[in-house]
Amino acid sequence: MDKMLRNKKTIFLFTFPTFLLFTVIVIVPIFFSLHYSTLKWDGFSKEIFVGFSNYRNLFVDNTDGFIQAVINSLVLALISVGIQLPISLLLALILARGVRGERFFRTVYFIPVIVSTVVIGQLWMKIYNNDYGMLNAVLKAIGLGNLANAWLADTKTALASVFAAMLWQYVGYHMLLLYAGAKSISPDIYEAARIDGAGEKDMAFRITIPLMKPILCVCIIFAVTGSFKAFDLIFVMTGGGPLHATEVPTTLMYTTIFSRYQYGYGSAMAIFIIVECLVFTLVINKLFSKNVDN
Amino acid sequence: MKSRRFFAGVLSASVMLTMATACSKSPATGSSAGNASASGEKVTLTFWNNYTNDTQHTMANTISKWNSDHPNIQINASSTENNAYKLKIKTAISGGSAPDIIYTWAGGFTQPFVEAGKILALDDYLNDGTKDKLLSGALTNITYNGKVYGLTYNQQAGALYVNNDLFKANNVKVPTTFDELLTAVKAFKAKGITPMAVGEKDEWPGMWYYDMIALRSAGASTCLDVLNKKSSYDQAPFTDAAQKLEDLVDAGAFSKDVLSVTRDDATAQFTKGNIPMYFGGNFDAQVIDDSLKGKVSAVKFPTIAGGKGVDTEYLGGGADALCVNASTKYKDQAVQAIKYLAEAFSTGMYQTGGGLPEWKYDSLDQSKIDPLSKQIMDDIVKGSTGSVPAWDLYLTGDDAQTHLDLVQKLFGKTIAPADYSKQMQQKINKS
Amino acid sequence: MKTDPDRRPGRRKKKITASSVVLYLFLGIVTVMQVYPLIWLFLFSFKDNNEIYSGNAMGIPTVWRVSNYTEVLTSGNVSIFLLNSIIVTGITILVSTILITTSAYAISRMQWKLSKAFLTYILLGMMVPLHATLLPLFVVLKNLGLLNSYLSLILPYIAFALPMGVFIMAGFYRNVPREIEESACLDGCSIYRMFYSIVLPLVRPAIATVAIFTFLSSWNELMFANTFLSDDNLKTLTVGIMSLSGQQGTHWGPIGAGLVIATVPTLIIYFLFSDQLQKSVIAGAVKG
Repeated sequence: MDKMLRNKKTIFLFTFPTFLLFTVIVIVPIFFSLHYSTLKWDGFSKEIFVGFSNYRNLFVDNTDGFIQAVINSLVLALISVGIQLPISLLLALILARGVRGERFFRTVYFIPVIVSTVVIGQLWMKIYNNDYGMLNAVLKAIGLGNLANAWLADTKTALASVFAAMLWQYVGYHMLLLYAGAKSISPDIYEAARIDGAGEKDMAFRITIPLMKPILCVCIIFAVTGSFKAFDLIFVMTGGGPLHATEVPTTLMYTTIFSRYQYGYGSAMAIFIIVECLVFTLVINKLFSKNVDN
Repeated sequence: MKSRRFFAGVLSASVMLTMATACSKSPATGSSAGNASASGEKVTLTFWNNYTNDTQHTMANTISKWNSDHPNIQINASSTENNAYKLKIKTAISGGSAPDIIYTWAGGFTQPFVEAGKILALDDYLNDGTKDKLLSGALTNITYNGKVYGLTYNQQAGALYVNNDLFKANNVKVPTTFDELLTAVKAFKAKGITPMAVGEKDEWPGMWYYDMIALRSAGASTCLDVLNKKSSYDQAPFTDAAQKLEDLVDAGAFSKDVLSVTRDDATAQFTKGNIPMYFGGNFDAQVIDDSLKGKVSAVKFPTIAGGKGVDTEYLGGGADALCVNASTKYKDQAVQAIKYLAEAFSTGMYQTGGGLPEWKYDSLDQSKIDPLSKQIMDDIVKGSTGSVPAWDLYLTGDDAQTHLDLVQKLFGKTIAPADYSKQMQQKINKS
Repeated sequence: MKTDPDRRPGRRKKKITASSVVLYLFLGIVTVMQVYPLIWLFLFSFKDNNEIYSGNAMGIPTVWRVSNYTEVLTSGNVSIFLLNSIIVTGITILVSTILITTSAYAISRMQWKLSKAFLTYILLGMMVPLHATLLPLFVVLKNLGLLNSYLSLILPYIAFALPMGVFIMAGFYRNVPREIEESACLDGCSIYRMFYSIVLPLVRPAIATVAIFTFLSSWNELMFANTFLSDDNLKTLTVGIMSLSGQQGTHWGPIGAGLVIATVPTLIIYFLFSDQLQKSVIAGAVKG
């Protein structure tokens, strides 16, 4: 058995095509970006080497709000792990445990992930609309009309409003992953536990969740890196505005590269995002593998 | 198994290819296949554009007519949605794989391409009478360092759209001065009607308001001087313009959620007939005419008492243009094609209400022309004494974005008019 | 499959109790929240801009504008766009599934020094902000001579599906009991045979999950598809739909109609694949 699993030829055959394709399409462009990030370059004219000054501009003497954008994305990551994942986990456990209409619920809960972000963005812009939006209508109906607001136009509420929409959209995404994780646990384990007289809650916390650790780790890493890379829905709903209130690193990078023609500086942002994601991924992985060892 | 081996084979072969070609930094070449040769041989010109909602088929029909008239010079056109097109053309030019004929926006958008030598200068090709066919000033915005780099076929012109029904019903006078505008705003506001529409989420629609007010306040020549970095933004007319915009905001001219209103949202509010005034471009005419035929006039923006601008100056000028890739293999054919296309697009778009002409259009049957477009052409553009393009079009990327952001701050009331001018000067003209 | 799909852990015959009422109330509320966008999209697809940008953005359209659908179906070549999307997405899912299942197996099960480093290397792909790769990827594809071909989309779609897929699969392989492989090994089959007929069936839920995600991201992708393709005959469905908007503004009704048309295959695919999740295959294999 071990000999089989050490077979060099098999390992090569299993990994090399992936390695090759991935290197050419994903890694090579990262090196391009790394190179661009040391340049003052508009994408067309002569490239001027400026060393690390683009990186310096991200944090020292920063004028475009990059630091605030990074903070915004950290907040998103935090609430994504702290609020979104528990909801997804709850739904996944309820469904995986077997309720009537499991198939139906599983399908329906995933719909927001399926529907194009362009549409989801339009939908939320209508929900938040000051004049005819659903949120203000509901607030007025329950007598909280004084809380009604132009949600996406107000710099104080725009960020929270956009984040709420994003959390909602991806609840189904994480639910599906966690559901698949819960489903692949052998039912025999439950049988044994039940014979021992364990209740539903006990089984969830003592058996299901611990056994789901690998997939939980996957979900947390997806939630965190996803937050650092979040772009689509923010771009549709606010474009980073109003007055940069909902700016995250990716929206800022987009404007920097494509509207401001600062390819070098924008690439430095890209590299920062990659490094940030990598660091967090390694840390989370480490935390989980420690836990598993215990 | 088989398929994977095959795939891996293909892949490694192609990787070697990259290594081979990536290392030899070959000069950028045009994307056309085949050999450049004397006339008579069949060539295909690639042409990228943003004509995705060519609802009247003006562009499509023109191109197919060209193709049937010129069997030896075929145009292969490809349309991409407007915003995606911007990314695409920048990427393709940067990556050295641009088409033979390029649709572009005159002014700051094209400037970096020109400066990097990616666009063909056309001066040698235009002395065959082409220049005489163009309206005066048609090439101003596509001229860089004294050389012409493209042919425009459509221009922008700002107009104040007024809903006459709402003005009559509420007994308000259509404003011709800024003071009258403020009076009108207050009158509508008092009746619970939001006076003006603007899609400031998209930034540029609000900038059109500021740029227009600045034109009335400073006059065309001062505006152009400042945009050309010959004069300072930090002077009274520009601060006054910022103050005037603040006055409109304070008077409640715009809805409370102005910062989250999109351009589509704003035009829809106006075309629904809920809002009496909308300062937009001639490019809004078609949509407005569709829903409010006969109820809307396009008038000149009010003048400012004491301002240096006059009411014969307008915001706009040549915008949509066709250029030829400097590294195309078929320079002569491509130039010949854009001459034809630009002229045909110019008249075609004017006729259908899609745009304002840049080419002479005397032979055109005037009765068929879209009425709002005709009004803008006759009242605002014809007989004008000067024009300034929308600033985001005139300035290059970084400066344009800075201007857009600062104007949004005026709408959000997070910057004082004096600071606005100071920062414009500091960030744009001193950098 | 030897297990009865209805015999699930935790399922007991229950009378209607207070707690089950609360449970179904909760599930019901969530259902309304999650299904609403689809209903909204459906209603949206029959409206025009005037209705969308007014008080009736949420409700039933005053007029059912079937013309929105005819406009989509007659503008451009929808059947070709659909075919292109199917080709691109189909090949992407097929090839990415092969690459993901094999390399994730090698990472989490096979014994070689660089397995952890390889996983980290692949994970890098999850961290790249896509917009930054547009120009570099354009240059790479240009040098490969692949611009304006199906492969210019298929290769990036596969490559960017790898990190997520490998990561998910590796997580699932870790849950597969080693005894299963060992018992298969005793029967004396080759590693390929064991992988194909024993390991793969065990991780079918994971394969289905990964395939769903890969499908969604490539089916809806816009930026690469817009930039790398210039031939109208290669356009994908979403690109075709978004082409309905332009410089003169966006007519949202027909776009909504187009998106309804594009969403139907997505729902079908999701339904097909996600049924795989239902089956507690591991139990079946252990007992079989």
